[in-house]
Amino acid sequence: MCPEPGTRIEDLLRDVAPQVLGALARRYGHFDLAEDAVQEALLAAASQWPADRIPASPRGWLITVAARRLTDLLRSEEARQRREEAAARQVPAGDSLAAGAGAPPDADDTLVLLFLCCHPALSAASQVALTLRAVGGLTTAEIARAFLVPEATMTRRITRAKQAIADGGAEFTMPEPGERAVRVTAVLQVIYLIFTEGYASTSGPSLLRPDLCAEAIRLARMLRALLPGDAEITGLLALLLLTDARRPARTSPGGLPVPMAEQDRGKWDAARIAEGTALVTEALRRGPPGPYQVQAAIAALHDEAPTAQETDWPQILALYEVLMQASANPVVALNHAVAAAMVHGPRVGLDLLENVGADQRIAAGHRLHAVRANLLEMAGDRDAARHAYLRAAELTASPPHQRYLNARAARLADQAS
Amino acid sequence: MKYMILVYASQRDYDAMVGKPAPGEPGWSGAEFAALGQFMEQFARDLAESGELVDTRGLTAPSQARRIRLANGAPVVTDGPYAEAEEVLAGYWIVECDSLDRAAGIASRLASVPGPEHVRARAYADVRPLAESRHELDG
Repeated sequence: MCPEPGTRIEDLLRDVAPQVLGALARRYGHFDLAEDAVQEALLAAASQWPADRIPASPRGWLITVAARRLTDLLRSEEARQRREEAAARQVPAGDSLAAGAGAPPDADDTLVLLFLCCHPALSAASQVALTLRAVGGLTTAEIARAFLVPEATMTRRITRAKQAIADGGAEFTMPEPGERAVRVTAVLQVIYLIFTEGYASTSGPSLLRPDLCAEAIRLARMLRALLPGDAEITGLLALLLLTDARRPARTSPGGLPVPMAEQDRGKWDAARIAEGTALVTEALRRGPPGPYQVQAAIAALHDEAPTAQETDWPQILALYEVLMQASANPVVALNHAVAAAMVHGPRVGLDLLENVGADQRIAAGHRLHAVRANLLEMAGDRDAARHAYLRAAELTASPPHQRYLNARAARLADQAS
Repeated sequence: MKYMILVYASQRDYDAMVGKPAPGEPGWSGAEFAALGQFMEQFARDLAESGELVDTRGLTAPSQARRIRLANGAPVVTDGPYAEAEEVLAGYWIVECDSLDRAAGIASRLASVPGPEHVRARAYADVRPLAESRHELDG
């Protein structure tokens, strides 16, 4: 692969990182050591390339350097483990490596790598960290900053994750066809988690943190390129794009949350909306939709409405009913109640909320009370609405949300007097 | 050396900041609240850029706190253990710099923090050197 002129070295490195690690792990095994070796090769490239020039085959250069480093790592393990001595000897010398490195990238390697990083033996936090490092090519320091944990903690989390993979005997091979669907679902969930972490933190001191939303979208694009026939992958990519499109409008200049109905739709990212809508339309043509496709279709309906009043609520309600049948998720039930209120009136929504509130997980959070307050306000029950807003404000720890909810309560008190 | 800069606030201060002031007290306007957030972001960014910032966090309202203490040898948990007007830790910065004077200089920048005048008038920050090991505490 020849680098495009003007490509930033950092982006180039991160694009080829999973291919390099995939090639190394497939050839030599030892995923944990191979991963360390690739990180060191990436650091070497980042410091050497700007001064010299980008090699004709960045991927080949990185594989050669990482393989040499892996040889060193394996040799130093020799003293401890006899069997790895044999493996180290199998690593060919520099010349034959460079020849092999010129071979076209094997797309399957990146896919196997994704499956391994999202291995079911790992906790969600470990899957996320390992995916960002091994597939995303982020450094441990960057991942630590993104999740606001000390670098030493993140180093340990990644080391333990790699150890768990080694202990579980997982190998660098493609999962059996019968297992593929489950493993793809796990990868989708990890990408979605990376996105929501980024989306939730955008009102914080974001300039110090890497953009996890952009990273999740990049990973989803990568996965879609590897498995273009999978409609749920296309659905997830569409959902991320259609959600991210609203990001510029979802907080006020002062950092307060702005509800969708009050957002300046002119600030929404039209290119993302167009791309996301095209993707979800393409995915939905392929048969019964999975949950990401349905959520993407809902997001597309919101994004396409020129004003909040013109939102196609009957269609959104129908889609939430599809989602409700697929899973008993209380957040889905909450949104379903809102859609029902928009179609059939606030009292219908409030009745549905009674059932949602039976779930302890959702009753303890602020969202149920905020939605209830909003529907009570729509129904004209100002006093009850005011109390629900105040209760929601007590239950959230976020000062911007508290300010928003207290202001809604205060507005109702003013109208009453 | 590492130093911790600490700032304090009561539940009443937190309530006033998020638009629920105690009767008779003025609250924070939206502009004041937004200015505070921007100031704090810039303060952290400057410290990160100068290479002196180790870590910083704001703490959520004291009403969200729990206290754990022993009662007859067993741990007992109390929700919201603070009185309304009691000042508790509200946020901290850990900085690494050459001297206590330098750390105090950094903390002095907090004097220009935006906010209602009556809140600014009674606000203060403490700077405390961190012990790097147990031995430093043996002295």
